[in-house]
Amino acid sequence: MEEQDQMQSSIEVEEVEEQQREGKRLEEENVVRFLDSLDSYVTLLDSLSSTLRQGWLELASARQSMGASRINGALLDLKSHSAATSLQVTHHDDEILNQPHFTLCKWASSKNGYGDEKLRENKLQTNSDGPQLRHRSQFAGTPEKIPETKGAPLIVDDQVQKERTKSLSMFGTLVSPKLRAAQLSFETALETLVEIANVRLTMLSTSDQVRKELEGTEG
Amino acid sequence: MYGFEALTFNIHAGYLEAIVRGHRAGLLTAADYNNLCQCETLDDIKMHLSATEYGSYLQNEPSPLHTTTIVEKCTLKLVDDYKHMLCQATEPLSTFLEYITYGHMIDNVVLIVTGTLHERDVQELLEKCHPLGMFDSIATLAVAQNMRELYRLVLVDTPLAPYFSECITSEDLDDMNIEIMRNTLYKAYLEDFYRFCQKLGGATAEIMSDLLSFEADRRAVNITINSIGTELTRDDRKKLYSNFGLFYPYGHEELAVCEDIDQVRGVMEKYPPYQSIFSKLSYGESQMLDKAFYEEEVKRLCLAFEQQFHYGVFFAYMRLREQEIRNLMWISECVAQNQKSRVHDSVVFIF
Repeated sequence: MEEQDQMQSSIEVEEVEEQQREGKRLEEENVVRFLDSLDSYVTLLDSLSSTLRQGWLELASARQSMGASRINGALLDLKSHSAATSLQVTHHDDEILNQPHFTLCKWASSKNGYGDEKLRENKLQTNSDGPQLRHRSQFAGTPEKIPETKGAPLIVDDQVQKERTKSLSMFGTLVSPKLRAAQLSFETALETLVEIANVRLTMLSTSDQVRKELEGTEG
Repeated sequence: MYGFEALTFNIHAGYLEAIVRGHRAGLLTAADYNNLCQCETLDDIKMHLSATEYGSYLQNEPSPLHTTTIVEKCTLKLVDDYKHMLCQATEPLSTFLEYITYGHMIDNVVLIVTGTLHERDVQELLEKCHPLGMFDSIATLAVAQNMRELYRLVLVDTPLAPYFSECITSEDLDDMNIEIMRNTLYKAYLEDFYRFCQKLGGATAEIMSDLLSFEADRRAVNITINSIGTELTRDDRKKLYSNFGLFYPYGHEELAVCEDIDQVRGVMEKYPPYQSIFSKLSYGESQMLDKAFYEEEVKRLCLAFEQQFHYGVFFAYMRLREQEIRNLMWISECVAQNQKSRVHDSVVFIF
């Protein structure tokens, strides 16, 4: 009888120790995840800074090459037009990471409507509620909803190139390669910005978890 | 052969040639550029420029300065020099001096038309126009819907009227039509200027034909490179090339079919005067091509001052001043963006 009691208590002790080890492992995982996201965040900030610096210098170089009368703010188009690039905000159903997720939709063709949106493949997320489309352009009308689809078709490269050329056409149709390079730099900066937003959300979320665990441990 | 210009040139243009040579002596030197390249702020640039001929134009500008302010004020100096020479000039020098500004006039016309297409305020556009290219009825450009109206309402009474014969259509103005209009006008202007200089004869004809041929060839190369990957067809591209210059006509045939920068290089390297330009660049690179062209242009413009009794010195001075202003713009941008390591990417020393 005593032996059975002893075995029972030793099993219970092992279970408690196993739970404690599991808890510590999860804590360490969260800390590592937080540090990883912090490292990504800092790296992306640095990358954004250098990409923007490069873009601004390329723009100045294009201005010097083409002339100040061809590249200046007075040529920006004030006519109403839909956004060439928009930001999608999706919500995870994940219980652990209940946070929004940002996805950039670049060079969505205004003529073809919704069929030709290009999504970044490694960020594509869908859920049963459908994504809430937010327009980043100040000229857009009421926000639009895209139909529920499991995946969006990709725009072919020449369509993307046409959209890029259309954006630059406010400065003329025969523009310097330096201006095109500046456009690519700012495009890359926009992608980096969205990545930063997502990494920041992850970082804040894991930071909250780590803090809760630390408070729980101290309590 | 020259026509005894030494006997008669100074009667009407001797004073102005002396004036322009004096202005040339006021251009910034390599030492000035080295000082400017070491500036930390735009106010430092203003302080260094206060000791130059730009000093009086910048001295009253309040801090904080902007790069566009520096460029605007330095351009005013160029405009004042030009107006002084123009009001003292007699024919045919006065016509020659007016020809120098037609390029800016074309740029201003395109700026107003493009800005109006984009629903910009006309006053805002007028402030961005180059002062050398202004004319009385320029604001009326905003009412034109197509090129026919543009010509009939406004440009028929301007010096650009003869250049419109090739591009008058009733098509509505859009980005592509405007671009073609810009290049067609500039082509017609260059050819007209070239013919005018040939009529003048003598040293003016010889020196200006070299400078204008280089300008035409450079434009042909830039049009080719800028149109790679666009919807401009080969035939349309070829129509934008001027009908003179070293590339005319066989080089133009080859440039019209180029699809990348290396093919353009292949065409240019067949012409010995342009081999040195591409020798500075590696294959596939086009970023430094502009600087290489500017360096070659500055070399030719400086050589124009080695000879007397011709009008080429006026053209050369104006172009050298414009290059100087471009240099100042680039240095200012690098200082403002805290990218001084890149300042020598685009500065072209004149002396």
